[in-house]
Amino acid sequence: MHASLSMRGVTAAGLIALALLIGAAPGANAQGVTIEVWSHEADEPAKVAFREQAVKNFEKSHPGTKVKITWYEKNPLNAALKTALPAGQGPDVFYVEPDQTEYITAGYVTPLDDLVNWNNIEPWARKVWTHNGKTYGVAQEAYTVELYYNKDMLQKLGVALPASNQFTQAQFLDLVKKARAAGMTPISQGVGDRPYPGAYITVEALLRKLGPDDYEKLFTGKLSFADPRVVEVLKWVKELADAGAYPKNFMTLKLGESHYYFYSKPGALMLPMGSFYTGRAFVPEDKGGQPPTFPLGIMQFPAMNGGACNDCKTSTVGASFAINAASKNKKLAGEFLDAMSTPEMGKMWIETVYLQTGIKADVKQFTGPHAAYFTELMERQKGKKYFVGQPRDMVKGECKDAFAQVLNSGFPGGLISVDQTVQMMNKACYKS
Amino acid sequence: MFARAARALRDPGSSTIDARRASLGILAAFLAPALLIYAGFTIYPVIRTFYNAFFTIKPQGVVDFVGFGNFTALLFADPTFWKAVTNTALFTIVATIVDVIGGLLLALVLFARAPLAPLLRVVWFTPVLMSYVVVGIIWVWMYDYDWGLANATLRWLGLGGWEQSWLGQPSTALWSVLAAHEWKWLGFNMIVFLAALHALPGEVLGAAELDNCGWLAKLVYIIVPMLRTTVVNLTVLSFIGKMMVFDLIWVMTGGGPLWATETVSTYVYKRAFEWNTFDLGYPSAIAVLWFIIILAFIAIITRVFRQRDKLEF
Repeated sequence: MHASLSMRGVTAAGLIALALLIGAAPGANAQGVTIEVWSHEADEPAKVAFREQAVKNFEKSHPGTKVKITWYEKNPLNAALKTALPAGQGPDVFYVEPDQTEYITAGYVTPLDDLVNWNNIEPWARKVWTHNGKTYGVAQEAYTVELYYNKDMLQKLGVALPASNQFTQAQFLDLVKKARAAGMTPISQGVGDRPYPGAYITVEALLRKLGPDDYEKLFTGKLSFADPRVVEVLKWVKELADAGAYPKNFMTLKLGESHYYFYSKPGALMLPMGSFYTGRAFVPEDKGGQPPTFPLGIMQFPAMNGGACNDCKTSTVGASFAINAASKNKKLAGEFLDAMSTPEMGKMWIETVYLQTGIKADVKQFTGPHAAYFTELMERQKGKKYFVGQPRDMVKGECKDAFAQVLNSGFPGGLISVDQTVQMMNKACYKS
Repeated sequence: MFARAARALRDPGSSTIDARRASLGILAAFLAPALLIYAGFTIYPVIRTFYNAFFTIKPQGVVDFVGFGNFTALLFADPTFWKAVTNTALFTIVATIVDVIGGLLLALVLFARAPLAPLLRVVWFTPVLMSYVVVGIIWVWMYDYDWGLANATLRWLGLGGWEQSWLGQPSTALWSVLAAHEWKWLGFNMIVFLAALHALPGEVLGAAELDNCGWLAKLVYIIVPMLRTTVVNLTVLSFIGKMMVFDLIWVMTGGGPLWATETVSTYVYKRAFEWNTFDLGYPSAIAVLWFIIILAFIAIITRVFRQRDKLEF
């Protein structure tokens, strides 16, 4: 009796072990698997709803598999990833942006070429994430850098926007001076929690003045900041700053607060911002969004005198997702990325987030309360030449730090001269 | 071994409870959990940081031995490091002095039973209970140029010409952060001093009063000398804390504007996590150098005061 019980016990244990082994075999059975996702943008309800809808769709098509999204703010997310990934830990899928190429060089993200259905992704969006012939991220959000303005305020100043929707360098400076004289804040912008928005006016001017090739050279250390064209642009930006273009609390104003500053209190004439503006602005007014009647307009950044490419415009990929190279569920993680990137989800993104996307989506007729905005946004793209990427995607190390401290804050904040700016940027960035 | 330990617990009077007579096995069994945690979360990271300081760590775990290269670069070719050292030293010296003297003055106000003393004690101590992150956010609002309390008060007083972007000017940013720090931390020193004041022998203070000793003379010649150990301990604790200041500065300024509030700790963090590299070698070298400097200063302070007081920290 005792022996037979033991035999039964051994057999049962063997069967359980076999079952566990089968269950553990990759891809053999997804029952009970939880895909861990770490995401930024918890403060943007439309994006939260979008990703949660993707989770619902995925869980419906994969019974027994769960997706758990942990929401972070951007800086804590990056800090968590930079400790978890080198330790071989971290989530299966995580939020990432194209400037974070260190994950690729370090081998912490897995190539997605065979894991994702690329038929649903725009080729240009895939290209942004392609390094040495392999693709490492799925672009969800795409955006252009825009110059938003308050139509009523512009009218109040008695200034008409040219038919090209683009002021000249001199007209723009004059506009800033007029706005300040009328007691308006000309440009709402703050660098309290981001290393880039303060540089929007400067870098967009540099792109138009230098053209794409030299612009790229400037931020990859191959062109000096002492180049006369660069100095000319810096002098113009200095004039803007000295004319009081930015708010007095520029240094401490946070990105989200600069939106509110523009469309609510105290109000400003212009807001240079990525077209991800909508993520914060198009939420209900009682949750900090833009008032429904706000007279929002979009103009082009000013044309530079003798600019090499005044039709140039910055376009880039923002929110993207990658798969942890240490993930044990790569195939399922890839399928989750597919679930976020169907044409239906692309349509949902455009119609609810009001923002461009790297997902192929066939939206011919814009509907919804902000359809007019999206139509205007598309109008502003006509005939433009895109430079894909931003300086913060190109700079690294000491140059990245100098970009944040000098071009982003100290220079537009009026703390340093043009000469000091040239000297500091060259020291950190220019490889002569 | 465990049986002996259990016996010792049952019979506290038995000789086996005496740690001096316990066998190594028993001592090891009781110490092992704490030692393992200490080794895993303190000793190993420290050793690893020292080790990393001599390497450049490249992606995918590739390491290059660079000897003292990181230290040489740090000391002779990194102006940001020296800027961070200067800021940290300034913050440490001023904050330590204000912490100790300010805490003592507040404690004396309460000890003298000033009007509303119980309320003041609560008001002054409450900020100690807040985290630096919360304190930082509150003070960023207070310093806001347009709607912050600091400038609003100046305007209300008719001193609008003095309004500033307190955190946006290199000349005022570090001092503004320091003020926020003092608001949070003075209450802690106040409570420690208050406890020490209440522990002073009443007969000595009474005798001084009988001798018609004035309050200033009593403070200078009797109270402060008798509080010497407390002063020294708080000075050393405060010094160590300030040399590692990070969270308040990170929340309020991130080291800006133009590195005006960069401290050694924020610089280590930036080099390790913000520069888009995974090189932990150079930031480890900064951490090691700073560890040695702090240790040296503590040794000096301890030596200076060792003759007359035993430090307890």
